[in-house]
Amino acid sequence: MVNLEELKENAKELLKQEKVKYIIGYKRGTNGLMPVPAFIKKPEDVENLIWDPLCIYNLTRFLVDEKRKKAKQKNPDERPVGLIVKGCDSRAVNVLLQEKFINREDIYIIGISCENTGVVDEKKLVKKLKGKKVKKIEFGKKNGFIVSTEDGQVEVPSSEILAERCQECIAHFPVVYDVLLGEKPKRKPDNPFKSLEKMESLSREERWTFWKEQLDKCIRCYACRSTCPMCYCDECVVDTINFAVTADTTAEEKAQKIKWVEKSPVLSENFVYHFIRAIHLAGRCIDCGECERVCPLDIPLRFLNKKLEKEAKELFGYDVGFDPDRPSLVSCFKEEDPEDFIR
Amino acid sequence: MAEEFEPKIVAFLCKWCSSAGSDLAGVSRMEYPPNVVPITVMCSGSISPLYILSAFNKGADGVLVSGCHPGDCHYIKGNLYARRRIALVKELLEFIGFEPKRFQMSWVSAAEGSKYTQIIKDFVSQLKPLGPQTELRRNL
Repeated sequence: MVNLEELKENAKELLKQEKVKYIIGYKRGTNGLMPVPAFIKKPEDVENLIWDPLCIYNLTRFLVDEKRKKAKQKNPDERPVGLIVKGCDSRAVNVLLQEKFINREDIYIIGISCENTGVVDEKKLVKKLKGKKVKKIEFGKKNGFIVSTEDGQVEVPSSEILAERCQECIAHFPVVYDVLLGEKPKRKPDNPFKSLEKMESLSREERWTFWKEQLDKCIRCYACRSTCPMCYCDECVVDTINFAVTADTTAEEKAQKIKWVEKSPVLSENFVYHFIRAIHLAGRCIDCGECERVCPLDIPLRFLNKKLEKEAKELFGYDVGFDPDRPSLVSCFKEEDPEDFIR
Repeated sequence: MAEEFEPKIVAFLCKWCSSAGSDLAGVSRMEYPPNVVPITVMCSGSISPLYILSAFNKGADGVLVSGCHPGDCHYIKGNLYARRRIALVKELLEFIGFEPKRFQMSWVSAAEGSKYTQIIKDFVSQLKPLGPQTELRRNL
């Protein structure tokens, strides 16, 4: 079990010795039980840190923001940033390291093991409790959660409220860390791509109907892009915000600016956007499920990324986010890569 | 009688092999359907998935990506990168239920003019019964 006191003690030490600039972790939000990201700068503030099954967010995204912020500063603070990561988040860190987006010495990783469970799916939890207010939720001794409501404690088996991605998780403990809290459990899911099975068993027409319906809903708020730790391109293909229009930009230059995707939220354009996002995340997505969680229209975006993760594994034997020294999926090849689809 | 549907194919051909192959088909006066719009790129490895999607988005009924045979790439290994990338695009297109016959990849060397004409002939006859591609066509 992860000892919260140990976590706080560790964080306090780091801040006292001024080893880190600040620590990114979780704290209790003001609205109900859901945690919010916490940026702890003073040793006395570590008391705010929490760790419970509701800490679902992937905090790695803040490393991207931190790098951008640092690039703008004249005399940046060169100390590393402390970051609290779960197993999945640590793989995201690995991908960023692999792509040389961040340097290892710029981060101090406090790893937390999810041990026997994972994090809960808030929607499933609300459904399960039928509107009852949750006072507290803890990891159970065995495979489950202890949920305290107004009516007392209940033990809920993890299969009922565990997030779908956690059921398919292949790294329950951080794969890269400076300090690890909790133990390294040895367990593997029976099938890491179980959620895809249902979709793959549908016929082609049914799949098309499904995705047509789903992607038609998209309002192009780009929340999926904003929350993704891997979506860090300075200029995204879908919007041209960085296209500098100066006094000497001619009308011709403006007209010739390539517009790959229209901004209108219509099916054909949504399609290109989500497809290209999925392709960009091939071999990089570590399945933290943030895109799906933040989607205001509940589009099952995770499936697209999961499918590519599966293909990367099956066609090319590539595991995402385990080895930062390996070349990334599309920047390497093998002689024996499949080519049966090529004439 | 209504006119027969003529599919429009966008072919991304690499400059060193496939484009030369299509040129050979031309200068050898081999006949093949005029449905194809060739776009010469420097290497099949330079073809972004966005090009393919954009072609469909702008109304192509079929897209062909063609490069040198493995080992013949002018840039040594560009086509091998392409192979990997295109495999992923193909899998994802199929996953969302897009007609997989509309997207093809081939290796055509500079000497294979006849193979090129055959590929185009087969592709056109495959696309004709499918009718126009409307799934991804821009519809604002």
